[in-house]
Amino acid sequence: LPILAGVALALASSVASAQQSVQLQAQTDVDTVGVGDIVHLELTAQSGDGMPTDPQPGATPGFAVRPPNTSPSQTHIMMNSARMDRFGLTVDWAMQAQRVGVFSVGPPSVVVGGVRHAARALTVRVVPAGQAPQRSQPQPNPLPFPQVPGFSPFDPWRGLFPGVDPGGNDRGGGGVAVTTDPKLALDAPRGSFYFLHAAVDSPSAVVGQQVTFSVYEYLDEAAGTSIEVDGTDVRDPTAAEFVKHSLLRDDQEATMAGYASVGGRLWKVNLVRRWALFPIHAGDLTIGPMSVTLVRPRNTSGSKRATDALPVHVTEPPLAGRPPGYGLGDVGHFALGVQVTPRDLEEGGAVGVHVELSGSGNVPASLAPPARTGVEWLAPEVHEQLGNVGHDVFGGKRTFDYVVRVHRAGAVDLGEMTLPFWDPDPKRYSVARANLGMVQVKPSAAAPAASGNVEELLPGLPAIRDALEGAPPSHPHADDRPLFWLLGVAAWPAAFGLAVVGRTSGRRLAQAWRVRRVSAATELKDRVSAASAACKGADARACDAAIARALEAATVAHAGVNVRGAMGDEVARRLESAGVTGNAAARVAELLRECEAARFAPDTVDVVSARERWVRAQGAIRQLEKR
Amino acid sequence: MRAAQPTAAPFLLFLLLLLSLSSARFARADEEPAALFAQATQALREGRAGDAIASFESLADRGVVDPVASYDRGLAYATRVRIGAEVPGDLGRAAHGFEEARDLARDPGLGDDASRALVVVRSEVARRRMRAGQPVEVDPGRSLGRTVAGLLAEDTWAGLAVAASALLALSLFARWLAAVPRVRVACAVAAAVAAPVLAISVAMTLAARHDRVGLREAVVVTAAARPTDERGIAVSGGTPLPEGARVEIIEARGASSRVRFGTIEALVPASAVRDLAR
Repeated sequence: LPILAGVALALASSVASAQQSVQLQAQTDVDTVGVGDIVHLELTAQSGDGMPTDPQPGATPGFAVRPPNTSPSQTHIMMNSARMDRFGLTVDWAMQAQRVGVFSVGPPSVVVGGVRHAARALTVRVVPAGQAPQRSQPQPNPLPFPQVPGFSPFDPWRGLFPGVDPGGNDRGGGGVAVTTDPKLALDAPRGSFYFLHAAVDSPSAVVGQQVTFSVYEYLDEAAGTSIEVDGTDVRDPTAAEFVKHSLLRDDQEATMAGYASVGGRLWKVNLVRRWALFPIHAGDLTIGPMSVTLVRPRNTSGSKRATDALPVHVTEPPLAGRPPGYGLGDVGHFALGVQVTPRDLEEGGAVGVHVELSGSGNVPASLAPPARTGVEWLAPEVHEQLGNVGHDVFGGKRTFDYVVRVHRAGAVDLGEMTLPFWDPDPKRYSVARANLGMVQVKPSAAAPAASGNVEELLPGLPAIRDALEGAPPSHPHADDRPLFWLLGVAAWPAAFGLAVVGRTSGRRLAQAWRVRRVSAATELKDRVSAASAACKGADARACDAAIARALEAATVAHAGVNVRGAMGDEVARRLESAGVTGNAAARVAELLRECEAARFAPDTVDVVSARERWVRAQGAIRQLEKR
Repeated sequence: MRAAQPTAAPFLLFLLLLLSLSSARFARADEEPAALFAQATQALREGRAGDAIASFESLADRGVVDPVASYDRGLAYATRVRIGAEVPGDLGRAAHGFEEARDLARDPGLGDDASRALVVVRSEVARRRMRAGQPVEVDPGRSLGRTVAGLLAEDTWAGLAVAASALLALSLFARWLAAVPRVRVACAVAAAVAAPVLAISVAMTLAARHDRVGLREAVVVTAAARPTDERGIAVSGGTPLPEGARVEIIEARGASSRVRFGTIEALVPASAVRDLAR
């Protein structure tokens, strides 16, 4: 048997001259699969005329086809100054079997130079879930550098130029062959000699959808020095908000991913991490950076190389069309298979139900059995075979072995196992189903007695209600409005408070007004105004009278002494006894005397003298004020 | 005119078909929740608890907020426990349905049934915790302030506040202006009563409004919600919150939620609690 059982191989027939330079190879990894299993259809196209484009898988009845993985490659060979180009395209379609049957798949095809070239159609047999033969483990490829993208054992150039290795390691013999993978190219190197680069296959996903996370190391091929990383200081990326599964084996060394041209230099690229990450909740989640420390070259010893943190935008699958029983996170392609044995039993007896859940994606860890009255499902025994099911897709199968006790006699329908899931490729919900069928239960005299001894769980639950009541009405609340608080609650006490404050304030104002009206300061102000006005007139006697009254008011206002009616030295004495300096008191007394004399003098008094006295009187008033 | 008739007829038919199709589509969209509910209750009556749960959950996913749907959903989970097909967390989800029904119910009978069912479910949780040697307190009750605020509707408290405010102001005015001693005494008594009533009703209105606007409550829907630290690692020695317990969500942060249960504040996985619809 060949290594890959059931591998079909088709080489394109040379029906036209154009096709002579195009070589096509189509194959499937298995020829028999179970419902829900994945089969890979791979088409490898080689051409010297140009890059093959627009790959199509052809007809795929009975299969759900996922978007293909494509690996373009270019080989440029310089041999004795002659350049030869070779363009390759490897396309891989992952197809999930949907129903039992024998199906003709393909023919897969590509376009080269405006002409579509097709390989031969292939035949795949689909059997019920769990009945497909075990896949044989892939044997180590005897050829070197199997990881080089676009490399094909059928590449005629290998035989044409002995000594030239398409992987690029063999540079002897005067020929230089380098195959660079455009997918590994970057805009600029992240460091000298060596750097890390992380990538995700998609920056957005739904909760539970696989995000493939890869970390590559880039080694400068032209550095001409050995590069060494400190193995004790490798810090893996953090992905706390994801469920993480490695798609590489634990003991696997870094695998070569190819060569890349970055910043005009040739870099050897190794794949160091590849994880299937399943987001556990919606939001903008972050995959942390991975870092290493360089040991060699010596001039970079101790320097860090780290990847960038990668954001992943995670949403929930749409609510529209969500089937009953859907559990958030159930995303992928799944199929269910069941076996129930025996089908005949006695009341109170048990049957074994073996459920196999297979597929790709976040394979659920538990199933909800079809709970029914009289049928008791005990906790299942769970086995799993999960891992990389090929082409960086995580999946596999989980089996659940239930013991189911049946507590009622007759033909008992065990119901149906269902698993609703979100299929990310067609972007729609699907439901994996498996009917458990009927079991025949014979009545048993012992069973009712035994069940009578069992303590009833949750006794006294009320009855079911059949009519919806409707959502509680949503009405605006008065207390949401500021007006309610201002006018409804605060206005009443505020009105009373305002009334009280207003009345009290009015009283105080009136009192203050009254006091102000009779105060000495007010009188002094009035007298001074009157004296100033009189001095502007021509009546010297009126002027002196006003000055005398202003001085008397000033002694009351500033010294608290009334000198009205005092004669001679009495004025000065009274002022001095009130604390007025002798000079100021004498000045006031002198002025009062002069005013008295001028008022009652028989001759007409000169108004200019009166004005001069008023000037001096103002000085005396100020002196009293400063006291 | 006769030539125009044959061309207009297909157009009219097409229009009619379009109208009937669109109306059927809208009708189906309107009927879907009702049909799902009928399907769910039918499954529950027939003892198909799993199918009933799937349909009730689908209703909830569609945003249907109805006390009867919540109540029946609680019953469906409780039935699954009862028939021996319990999935961990079923008691918590049953309690969640009953709590939600009790909060949303306008029919006092439904509220009573939901309260009775809650007692049954929480008794089972307490019984299991007692067997496991854990504290049996499942429902620490609400705080005194929240209990008092819940005695009357928010609008009632608001109306009481307005009435008390008016009475206080009027009695003070009357006392101020009145000259008759008896009237003054009566007004003083009225003001003395109105003032504390005003203070309490304003406080309760504010508390009820705060609960309506800002309070987020949830129910623990895992067998035991273990308190975790900021990194999501279970705190050693932390007392797990009991299944079915009603908690207040203080803060939701990504995969974790800070919750208050009685006097305990803890960070628990967000998936361990389920929000109560309002």
